[in-house]
Amino acid sequence: MKLIKSGMVLAAAWVSQFAAGQTLPDGAEPVPEFLASQALAAESVGGDEADFRSLDTEIQDLKGLVLELNRDLFLLEEELLFPANTQVSIFVSMDVGEFFGLDSVQIQLDDKNLANYLYTSREIDALVRGGVHQLYLGNVRAGEHELVAIFTGTGPHARDYRRGATLSFEKGIGPKYIELSISDRQQALQPEFVVREWE
Amino acid sequence: MREGAPRSSWITRPAIALCLVLLSILVTSLVSAATQLSGLPAPDFVLKSLSGENLRLSEYRGQVVIVTFWATWCGDCRAQLSEFDALHDSYQDDDFELLAVSLDQNWSELKKTATELDLSYPTLHDADLVVSKLYDVNSMPVSVLIDRDGFVREVVEDHRRARGQSMSDRVGELLGDW
Repeated sequence: MKLIKSGMVLAAAWVSQFAAGQTLPDGAEPVPEFLASQALAAESVGGDEADFRSLDTEIQDLKGLVLELNRDLFLLEEELLFPANTQVSIFVSMDVGEFFGLDSVQIQLDDKNLANYLYTSREIDALVRGGVHQLYLGNVRAGEHELVAIFTGTGPHARDYRRGATLSFEKGIGPKYIELSISDRQQALQPEFVVREWE
Repeated sequence: MREGAPRSSWITRPAIALCLVLLSILVTSLVSAATQLSGLPAPDFVLKSLSGENLRLSEYRGQVVIVTFWATWCGDCRAQLSEFDALHDSYQDDDFELLAVSLDQNWSELKKTATELDLSYPTLHDADLVVSKLYDVNSMPVSVLIDRDGFVREVVEDHRRARGQSMSDRVGELLGDW
């Protein structure tokens, strides 16, 4: 392609050189008009392509900046709405294969319902692959609190399964992170539900 | 006022104007708030289907979706659901899904009716009426047409408008917008 374009440019140069009335060398034939015009067009197209590429690069850079800004704004919003001295985050993680099919998780803090989340098959797949779901983010006053998590799903032998787990914790100055973990307990052939704090 | 005009016209014309104003206010108030969702992102929700799986609306992003609200005691709804079955079949291999959200309180009655209707698309149970409130559903049937980007394109409250070719054409248009 480049060879064709350069050939066309040379042909255009040839034409322009002899446009002022100079005679062609012996045996030489004049370049057809359409070829000369094609050469000029090819040169302008090459220029347009370069402009297009640089514009595309600029747009991609802008997109990246917008995404970064969006992320920063999101973090700032979270810090403003949920300051560290009252922030509580509750996460759900799974490490199961055989003994439990999760359907929903309900959480209560000091006998008050915080969340009741239904999990779709896609979300469960993400959890099993190692994903962690932020089930709740909120503000809690400092002091002693009791968290109750109720897990509903399908247990061994495809039977309906509903289990609860409790955690008493002390909310201090910094943010509190709590994990609700679901895993297989091979020895008992049963699922295991653990509520623990992240240190 | 022209001299000699009948006294009754003094009362009649303003009265008529007042009646028209009141009528327009009444008609406006009767338009469901659901229709005000047109052009806005469809509120996301997750409900349990009769087959037991949990279905989340946002997971259908990229597909054209019709969410139709119905109840077992609503005759027009049941007729529409059967017609939507044909629509679902015709676009079965395309990026299209239908979700029938039931507002029935009685699970058994719902299950029985759904079995009789033998629908080819999921039936979801909104027992707590959370989703119907989210979509401001005041009458039934109501069908919400959602495009591939998750925006509400149209809310159809008149089941006659939701019938047959017109809805099929609308779905076809949205499927082509990609």
